[in-house]
Amino acid sequence: MEKELRDQAAKLLEEGTVDYIVGFASGTLKHTTTPLITGDKDETSSLVINPFISNNLATYALEISGRLGIVAKGCDSRSIVSLIQDKQITRQDIVILGIPCSGLIDLKKVEKLAGKERDEIDEVVVVADKVVITVGSEKQEVPAAAVLFDHCIGCELQIPQEYDFLIQGPAVEIRNSEASREKIKELKQMSPDQRWSYWKQQFNRCIRCYACRQVCPACFCERCFVEESQPRWVSPVSQWQDNLIFQAIRAIHVAGRCTDCGECERVCPVDIPLRSLSKEMYDLVGEMFNYKSGMNAGAPPLMTAYELTEVESLIR
Amino acid sequence: MITKKVSKKDIRKLLGTWNQECNVIVPSRVDGVVGMAAWDNQDISFLDWYRNTVIPPKSCFLPKSEVMMSFKKNENGYNLEVPTNEHWQVIFGVRPCDARANAIIDHVFAVTYDDYYYISKRRNTLLVGLSCTNPYDSCFCTSSNIDPTESEYVDLMFTDIGDDFVIEDFTGGGKALLNMSNTLKKVTKADIDKIKEVKAASVSKIKKTVDTENADRKLGSLFNDTDYWERISAKCISCGICTFLCPTCFCFDINDEMIRKQGARYRGWDSCSFRSYTRMPMENPREEKWRRVRQRVCHKFEFFPMNLGINACVGCGRCIRSCPVNWDITQVIAGLPAEAGIKSGK
Repeated sequence: MEKELRDQAAKLLEEGTVDYIVGFASGTLKHTTTPLITGDKDETSSLVINPFISNNLATYALEISGRLGIVAKGCDSRSIVSLIQDKQITRQDIVILGIPCSGLIDLKKVEKLAGKERDEIDEVVVVADKVVITVGSEKQEVPAAAVLFDHCIGCELQIPQEYDFLIQGPAVEIRNSEASREKIKELKQMSPDQRWSYWKQQFNRCIRCYACRQVCPACFCERCFVEESQPRWVSPVSQWQDNLIFQAIRAIHVAGRCTDCGECERVCPVDIPLRSLSKEMYDLVGEMFNYKSGMNAGAPPLMTAYELTEVESLIR
Repeated sequence: MITKKVSKKDIRKLLGTWNQECNVIVPSRVDGVVGMAAWDNQDISFLDWYRNTVIPPKSCFLPKSEVMMSFKKNENGYNLEVPTNEHWQVIFGVRPCDARANAIIDHVFAVTYDDYYYISKRRNTLLVGLSCTNPYDSCFCTSSNIDPTESEYVDLMFTDIGDDFVIEDFTGGGKALLNMSNTLKKVTKADIDKIKEVKAASVSKIKKTVDTENADRKLGSLFNDTDYWERISAKCISCGICTFLCPTCFCFDINDEMIRKQGARYRGWDSCSFRSYTRMPMENPREEKWRRVRQRVCHKFEFFPMNLGINACVGCGRCIRSCPVNWDITQVIAGLPAEAGIKSGK
């Protein structure tokens, strides 16, 4: 897969079809990758495809001017489509290098299983539907679903639907939409009081770094409500009340655009389970409007369209 | 100097003694996130798992948000109340990188300016350092001339030599802490040999290195190279993780909150990575992302050395470990001129 991708990327730059390639390269730390943004065809030889390519590169399409060749997993391709629907980018400016994806490794789950931290783990290798974790001389084999991100377990698009080039390769379907909603189920079983104190506790430790917003391709507002000062909607002081309001509004704002790529939760430095909010919104959108974001570039954005058949239980 | 040692099984007793006189703060996992938090007078399991905190110890003196004063409207105007900090605290388990970082921030809040809120917490604090014997792959303190087992910025330094911690004391406050306890033992010749061994081994565990020599000069000559900074900053997503988790970043923002004629003035972390930074007093002079990235790098490696003769990066590696896009400052420093090299022991 990597060779095909590198050749294709180099060709696109060489022919002048794109100005930049946005893909993944190996990171500087163990089991990490890093976004590679390059206009140099020689650098395309560092492009990689592995189970650690977590970033949703669609977010770069918003800020890099010029024609881009973007490496996209299924979820990322949906974010690109969603941005096209919202007229944030034009289809002609983007060359989608689709790659099949069997799911990405959630290092936090691996750390938990291995009882070691990321850098103390020697190897994490995917073998079909199993993952082998090596620490020193000890090898541990676990079902892939046990160490994939929650959003990957519930993935609805292992192979991008929208693409210009599709890199050929295996895409193991490890779908378990129930397991993917485990955390949400847990929260729903709580009483409203319990749930309220749960979220209070979670947002108490939010440091308002806005990494969740910054990585999110669906968060493309030029001016975020949270930074408005005249009038001021949310206090910039990091206190649980305002932290929670920020996130609650963000979750509602991205409804119909969120493709459940899970980046908000992965990047949170204080481990707030943000996907519980976004995934619940994602499922509600599906339930109420029979809509899946980023699946059809020609469709109008969810919140701008209205069908007579839509549920109106709130407005009578 | 090395005078005493304490058996690992007596650590609870030692911390307990201190906890009677002041608040003991230890590395704690709160909801899965490691930071410094009040000790529960019982749990010392952190000795087994603690490597370093996610939230740096600067938060003990410059918390993510704090009340500067509270106010309430009365007939004549406002009643103001300014919080006081009279209690003593001992922070146990500070790593040498973070101890240096505290000393660097002291320059800002206690040397060049007398910041009441910072000083009122800092002056009542004793730092107990803990040698770093299991660093991360992202740690590069030795490149900032820090020995992971030594610090001149703590009151006491503990080094793990197996069954015991050897204790070095550096200040009167440190000596006073030792005098409070009756669980300490004398060090032997064998202990001295052992500590030398542990120290050498710990230094060799820092695999990531970067040549910071002349970084200030190189950055100075690169300052106006827009192409360079645009390329370097391309993948940065402008979040605040690197600055908030940096033990030497100290920018803050002040906000008043008032509901029904009473409220408070808060101070909280701010970040030069944000596009909205300093928009309140005027505009952000660093509208473009590359200017903001340049600011962070130059502040650490050019402006601080220029003003105080010291790099403001201590090599704790937090900004690399927690970065959503693996933006690695050591690569940037190493990549300044072509001949500089980075060696990663990965």
